Amino acid sequence: MTRLNSYRELEHLRQRLLEQRQTITTTVMVCGGTGCRTSNSQAVIDAVREELTSQGLDGSVRLCVTGCHGFCEQGPVVIIEPGNIFYCHVTPEDAFEIVYQTVMKGEVIERLLYEDPVSGERFKTEGEIPFYKAQERRILSRNRLVDPCSIEDYIAAGGYSALPIVLNGMTPQNIVNEIKASGLRGRGGGGFPTGRKWAECMETPGDEKYVICNADEGDPGAYMDRCVLEGNPHLVLEGMMVGARAVGASKGYIYVRNEYPLAVKNSRIAVEQARELGLLGNNILGTSFSFDVEIARGGGAFVCGESTALMASIEGKVGEPRPKDVHTVVDGLYHQPTTLNNVETWANVPAIILNGSSWFASEGTKGSKGTKILSLTGRVKNTGLVEVAMGTSIREVVFDIGGGSANGNKIRAVQTGGPSGGCLPLDKFDLAVDFDVLAEAGSMIGSGGMVVMDEETCMVDVAKYFLTFLQDESCGKCLPCRVGIDRMLEIITDITEGRGRMEQLDLLEELGDTISQTALCGLGRTAPNPVLSTLRYFRPEYEAHIKEKRCPAGVCKALITYRIDPDKCTGCGVCLRSCVHGAITGQKKEVHVIDTQLCQKCGVCRSECKFDAVQVV
Amino acid sequence: MPLQALDQILEGRRSQPNQLIEVLQDVQKSYGYIPREAIESVSKGLGVPLIEVYRVASFYKAFKLKPSGKHVLTMCAGTACHVRGSGLLLDHAVSQLGVKPGEVTPDGLFSIEHVNCLGACALGPIIAENGSYHHHVTPAKLRKLIETLRSQEVEDAHYDQAQQLPRTGTPAPAAP
Amino acid sequence: MLQYVNLNIDGANVRAPRGTNVLDAAIEYGICIPHLCHVPNLSDIGACRLCIVEHVVNGRSEVTASCTLNVEEGMVIRTNTENIRRLRRNLAELLVAQAPNSRAIQDIALRCGVKEVRYPFRNEDCVLCGRCVRVCTEIWQARAIGFVGRGKDRHVDFPFGIRPDFCKQCGNCIQVCPMTIPPCDGPMKPGEEYLCLKCESQLMDETPGSCAWCKLGEGFGCGRYVGV
Repeated sequence: MTRLNSYRELEHLRQRLLEQRQTITTTVMVCGGTGCRTSNSQAVIDAVREELTSQGLDGSVRLCVTGCHGFCEQGPVVIIEPGNIFYCHVTPEDAFEIVYQTVMKGEVIERLLYEDPVSGERFKTEGEIPFYKAQERRILSRNRLVDPCSIEDYIAAGGYSALPIVLNGMTPQNIVNEIKASGLRGRGGGGFPTGRKWAECMETPGDEKYVICNADEGDPGAYMDRCVLEGNPHLVLEGMMVGARAVGASKGYIYVRNEYPLAVKNSRIAVEQARELGLLGNNILGTSFSFDVEIARGGGAFVCGESTALMASIEGKVGEPRPKDVHTVVDGLYHQPTTLNNVETWANVPAIILNGSSWFASEGTKGSKGTKILSLTGRVKNTGLVEVAMGTSIREVVFDIGGGSANGNKIRAVQTGGPSGGCLPLDKFDLAVDFDVLAEAGSMIGSGGMVVMDEETCMVDVAKYFLTFLQDESCGKCLPCRVGIDRMLEIITDITEGRGRMEQLDLLEELGDTISQTALCGLGRTAPNPVLSTLRYFRPEYEAHIKEKRCPAGVCKALITYRIDPDKCTGCGVCLRSCVHGAITGQKKEVHVIDTQLCQKCGVCRSECKFDAVQVV
Repeated sequence: MPLQALDQILEGRRSQPNQLIEVLQDVQKSYGYIPREAIESVSKGLGVPLIEVYRVASFYKAFKLKPSGKHVLTMCAGTACHVRGSGLLLDHAVSQLGVKPGEVTPDGLFSIEHVNCLGACALGPIIAENGSYHHHVTPAKLRKLIETLRSQEVEDAHYDQAQQLPRTGTPAPAAP
Repeated sequence: MLQYVNLNIDGANVRAPRGTNVLDAAIEYGICIPHLCHVPNLSDIGACRLCIVEHVVNGRSEVTASCTLNVEEGMVIRTNTENIRRLRRNLAELLVAQAPNSRAIQDIALRCGVKEVRYPFRNEDCVLCGRCVRVCTEIWQARAIGFVGRGKDRHVDFPFGIRPDFCKQCGNCIQVCPMTIPPCDGPMKPGEEYLCLKCESQLMDETPGSCAWCKLGEGFGCGRYVGV
């Protein structure tokens, strides 16, 4: 690829690529994201490619290995255009049929279509599937158009159109004003107005400013940044270029979590390709704007999602946050003015430049504009990545898109915002996905994680889980976080093991309040949220653990007993053989019995029993 | 303990303290852990005080200061996996192998790590074993996985014995 | 030439050189803000959080550590509000429950108004204040010790846990450590820790927050003593 020296040359390249693709009649998109790869999509890709070659279709049919479509449970996913035909659970053996039936003859293969797990109904196109229908996939939909390792795909699909606009017709102040007017707020968790952040950075003098893309995505259960960065790295790069131009930065970093090797790989390829075309480097597109990007890898620390810890990590130091009385836009990476934004925030920028701030602001609520990608997981039928307009209610997300309960249990809560967020009960499901609305209710949008919980989820156990996580990830520098979280965990553990006392609930609240006000960084300050929100909305459950020494959801090991229902047991002996603790005895064809002294409540027997005879009481 | 690889890792990065984490990641990949000699060489090579290198190596989860087992079972402990029972899976792995997370089985074959979210949440519970991801893992699947890996090792041992090849295993721990 | 700024602490007009922090400015003026990890002439890390104050910005009060907050013209600071006193008391309670076996820590608890400890006592011999690390790094530049590990595992250690030959055993780390002086009644046996409440500190939490040259400061080197 030859270097582009002007905006005109970029447009010529775009035209040439579109012309080349005019001979393509059909596109077969196979997902190569982490989720589908886990389900062996690489074999599907190879099989389809082989089939297309052997049928001589290389010239007219394009095989595009795309990034994640967000519906990972249905993977490997194959989409055929024209027709937007959506195939799920595709195996390599299906390749022949797909090429022969659908590609060559235009016929749909019924058994590969998405099937509703409850009604059995099958849906032909992506747009008809209930999971996708209610979404507003401004960002995620772009994943289907591009192979993340092909800059040509991105350009042919209209990418790198915002960059020339920004370089030719807009001053840095213009750009900042546009972002401000759009109402874009940080998508990583803080929800800080992006325009204001850029403005402060732009106004700070400095000749070596930085822009950083935070792809650390530490919230467990959240993988939207992975999806966007793996699937469409150029979208993020273009956003960073716009930002760099606005604030006056000449160097950028994409800080990717160590646990995302594919995202690291694809970002590196994208940067290389952009450099080759001259879209990164000196004098981009013949202007005086010079900007380059480097990929930095995390070392495995949730705290490095915090901006000052992330910057310390790029500097080769331990990820210990420092106080932010002086903002990082003034004193950031290497003490230079630095604009740090989340992957999704950067991904929203090019469209704002292209379509205008009013277009962006037309979606959403008064305080929260645009769309948000949520990671819907847990006890719900359809799990995956969901992009909705701000203002959509939790109920719509969980029931219309998520499809409601997966196994008939009653859904009773949703946890939003990861370890910094809180749990909201069913009667709060009419609340909108909105930064301020959720924060006021004691939770937050956070990075967008949304875990659905049902009657088999113990809320005290949920609080314990998050505290354990945060204790593991705390950097340990400041007293309230290091010791405070430990003490909260000590109390909650007492409660889950039947040693709780009622006055400990008040102590939890007071300690939680103290930590939230005094901790040095955001990790510590938001650490009490899961505890405080579950105390606020699910206090009776805590009280049951304390007063009755009972776990209503049947989760807390010390408070439950496993027993075999004599009416259901057939004496098949499967449980006995599977028990590693030797706790089950019984003769063949006779009712088996669990010795509660030896039973460790590991749950193996329960998952092995085909007659549902193992009960938790 | 061959340390020639260290020169290669340090090339182009000498006297650049900000490369410390990248360098340690390459060391971890090459050796399976961060040996003491590596910490000392990196300190000299990058110009970072010894205590600082040691500090960084002990802070980040990606770096192990002790060798791991030949097969590392990385169990995802993220929220989505937790809600689907990854906690019980961890207990099961611990009781099956007889070691706690971070420890190595006496035969040097297995160790358990737990990680906070691999990003494949819809397919949880996830266990990654030396790069390959296993999804929707149940205690039964886990048992099968361990058995398969074990029997593979036995097969390899017999093969090596028949061919009179030296047994390959984990690198011997560095001298204290 | 030092540039001075004017700020307001607890209603008093204070002048301090640009580049100093609010804690230093307060100590200079005799306003008592309890602190542990702050030592004059060493960098401030804001780890113990005892020196928290309310920084009033646009009508809102932000709670922040005064040792890492640099003075600015027109700043309004409140060091002794009811909220601050309550927060400090809770922090000091956590501290003394971790490590009661030190006179300095017992003194801090008393100074911050701790009357009861609602957590089971532990008997840690290090409170991770970081004074030793900073003295070794910044004054002697030996860099023989540092913080190692993360979170609960965080502890002060030599590289690989072995004293290197460039540690010249100057003893400064021991000198600045707040854990070296046992409580007045002697070292506490593990399992029998308690809140002493009788160390010679003249201050209770009702004081208006001005320095009274208390024994607490004498005991472990409060900034007022060392700085003067």
